[in-house]
Amino acid sequence: MAIDMSQFYQVFFDESAEHLAAMEGLLLDLDVENPDSEQLNAIFRAAHSIKGSAGTFGFTDLADTTHILENLLDRIRKQELGLRAEMVDAFLECGDLLREMLEAHQGRGEVDAGAVAAICARLRELSTDQAREAAVSQAEAAPVAHGLPARGLRVFDIQFVPTAISAQGDGVRNLLDELKSLGALEVLAQPDAGAAAVGYWQVRLTSDVGQEAFADQIDFIADNGAWRVLESSAVGQSDDSGFGFFDDSPGAPEADAGYGFFEPLEQPSPANASSSAADGDGYGFFEPLPTAETSEVAAVAVEEGDGYGFFEPVAEPVSTPPAVAEEGDGFGFFAPLPPVVPEPPPVVVEPLAPAVVQPIEKPVAEPRARASKAASAAAASGDSSIRVSIEKVDQLINLVGELVITQAMLLQTATQMQESAPERLVNGLAQLERNTRDLQESVMSIRMMPISFVFSRFPRVVRDLSGKLGKKVELKTTGETTELDKSLIERIADPLTHLIRNSLDHGIESPEARIAAGKSPVGTITLKAYHQGGNIVIEVGDDGAGLPRNKILAKARERGLQVSEQMTDQEVFHLIFEAGFSTADQVTDVSGRGVGMDVVRRNIQSMGGRVEIDSMLGVGTRMTVRLPLTLAILDGMSIAVGDQTYILPLSYVIESFQPRMGDIKTLSNQARVIQVRGEYLPVVVLHELFNIKPQSADFTQGIMVVIDADGIKAALFVDALVGQHQVVIKSLEANYRRVNGISGATIMGDGHVALILDVSAIAGMAKSSVQKAG
Amino acid sequence: MEAMTQSASATGEEDLVASEYLTFTLGSEEYAIDILKVQEIRGYEQPTLIANSPPFIKGVINLRGTIVPIVDLRIKFNLGKIEYTPFTVVIILNVAGRVIGTVVDSVSDVISLTRAQIRPAPDFSGSFDTRYILGLATVDGRMMIVTDIERLMTSADMELIDDASAAS
Repeated sequence: MAIDMSQFYQVFFDESAEHLAAMEGLLLDLDVENPDSEQLNAIFRAAHSIKGSAGTFGFTDLADTTHILENLLDRIRKQELGLRAEMVDAFLECGDLLREMLEAHQGRGEVDAGAVAAICARLRELSTDQAREAAVSQAEAAPVAHGLPARGLRVFDIQFVPTAISAQGDGVRNLLDELKSLGALEVLAQPDAGAAAVGYWQVRLTSDVGQEAFADQIDFIADNGAWRVLESSAVGQSDDSGFGFFDDSPGAPEADAGYGFFEPLEQPSPANASSSAADGDGYGFFEPLPTAETSEVAAVAVEEGDGYGFFEPVAEPVSTPPAVAEEGDGFGFFAPLPPVVPEPPPVVVEPLAPAVVQPIEKPVAEPRARASKAASAAAASGDSSIRVSIEKVDQLINLVGELVITQAMLLQTATQMQESAPERLVNGLAQLERNTRDLQESVMSIRMMPISFVFSRFPRVVRDLSGKLGKKVELKTTGETTELDKSLIERIADPLTHLIRNSLDHGIESPEARIAAGKSPVGTITLKAYHQGGNIVIEVGDDGAGLPRNKILAKARERGLQVSEQMTDQEVFHLIFEAGFSTADQVTDVSGRGVGMDVVRRNIQSMGGRVEIDSMLGVGTRMTVRLPLTLAILDGMSIAVGDQTYILPLSYVIESFQPRMGDIKTLSNQARVIQVRGEYLPVVVLHELFNIKPQSADFTQGIMVVIDADGIKAALFVDALVGQHQVVIKSLEANYRRVNGISGATIMGDGHVALILDVSAIAGMAKSSVQKAG
Repeated sequence: MEAMTQSASATGEEDLVASEYLTFTLGSEEYAIDILKVQEIRGYEQPTLIANSPPFIKGVINLRGTIVPIVDLRIKFNLGKIEYTPFTVVIILNVAGRVIGTVVDSVSDVISLTRAQIRPAPDFSGSFDTRYILGLATVDGRMMIVTDIERLMTSADMELIDDASAAS
């Protein structure tokens, strides 16, 4: 192959991941009792696309697994099999494994080969299970119709030349394994170099299934036209000369019923033949009838039946063939066999084979064509979007940030010129300001993604967990279209998953307890996202038991935390975020070990957000996560200390005031505190902390800014408040290192760098200085 | 390039391959650094102070949207008079994937040096660790101290990089 495929790998990974996600979403939506055929088709298409591209790129493990998945899906889709809940489970599990394989191909993680083999086996079993069931039911039905049992085996001569890719991979071996699982397999010819070579293969399969059970597999490893299947003969023997019903031939292991082989019968009966074919959506093998009239009928019948018909001269008025065909899924095989088929099976009807091959190709090809048409239609209807790497977008955002700064500088210069600036310049600059702001907004919106990217994974989490915990839970989501920054989307997923697991495990009670409490046995978890101010708010609510205030307090005391009965509910509930804190009576594998909630809070805080808890005993709990819309922009207050300007994130600022003489008290002559609204707060003097020469060391000349970092309050003493800005956050660590008390940097309108204060760290410093003093 | 400048014992044809070096002065001493590590040269502007940083780290500047730390090598090596005039020069280096600015007295020249021209430096103890000196070269009667600027800037002494990454 002349093209280097590896350059397209990333596209393949992206696309496959999308297909998998789509498949999972559809599977979760699927109503098991009454599946929507559109949805089934869509799931099938997703699997089919993955298989197709995986095959193209030579990821044989992916292709092979998807292939098995696709087979089962295809049968369900064609309503050959009924959908069952355990199938959905298997599909979901298979989806997970496929995702792992994708990751592994990208160099992340490893695939558990055992699990893959297990799921393949399970899928195969699911698909054959049902075939067997159908067969059995048919076998049961048949005797009712004819009062005689029907059994049979067929022999296929399969010839193929595998493609290079599948020959190098496990393709051929898998195919052989698969065929072996269907029946007895005999390799008649194979290329010299063994299983891994491209070359001519001929194998003989003796099985009770029809060709379509394995035709796909062969088609998968061999190019179109590079394979064919010849049905050699039926194996069987008659034990009744009048009505041909075959028992297992001695050499045939599979004794499964369902496919009747009917003996040539004496009088031609076109009428019967036609009726049987028209009714049956099974697969009959009809040979040209001796008379012209009957062959016409047979031809019509082929058209009408949606199966693959091989009509042999039906030479007898039989009531049985139509009956069997009507049963549906079976394969009627009508052959003008001599009354007794001798023991060595394959030889007998060999001349038949060519006649059989011809007609079969067309019907097989047709559904495939339909499927690919449907797939391309789906692709065409996909939204018109382009795939752009995140770096390119970030570069664009950076450039626009530069533009904004340049524009601000120009504006400042023009303002300094005051009267002397020509009016047209001032107007032009005003226009420029508007345009740059619009540009910045639209560029920022590129990074914005709907939160449904995160929400879409939760139905699965809830489904799996509620099953594991034996609870009935319904997940309601609203506001999926709420947009937030992509980097936040990635980072919020884990904390949210944890909150939901927590709600499921601790919040929602068992169905019995819920009924006892007079609630509906089905619990509800609501997931809500919306914008509020410059923030995005995500709520995880449940209608479960609520947080037990007393239990939390007792537990806190047990753990030696400083608590009192006077604490507000909010304060008490926040105790659950302490490391190692758990109120669960039992540790389950879901949660209850007391790790997690502290991680949740830490993660959310690192994103510049915070968590709040509302809860009412017996009614439910609501966790509210507030996040900034983007990590790239921050609402800040600029403060001056000495000749330096710092940015204080606005979300931490509670109030500011000018202290009066004597407001500031000292503790053991070291730490200073100030009383604010009845509370003594530690005073952090920023110029001392940063070793800067202040404009004035006199407290009455400066400003106290009260900050609240996750419950730790402090009063920050600064020289002056300068203004309020939206600032673009730049990393200090990219070229430098972490600085204690500084969380990042930004570029001010005049092109200078201003450092952003790390409020949590500063509040922490204040706390430790007071503790040292105390 | 890297390999060439680092393997001092290499002989033969490689010795004749010349590489270009940027020379600058710190006080009365002349230094030469690999020009491929230099991103640009610009004038000095007052950086934003970083609290509690060592005195030779002057602060950070905005270099077209990137936050770049500025190091004054004169302070670090106790060389020359430390004054900031309109002629004070900052060399913006691109080392170890980072952008770092260094204040020097002046930039003098770009010279070509072959491996053979760079003589090993004698061992001496001083503020400037010999680890960062690739060798000494003489051009037009002037001695150049050929410096491994990347190694110097990423060393723990410079306190430019978090300990974790400096250790590697």
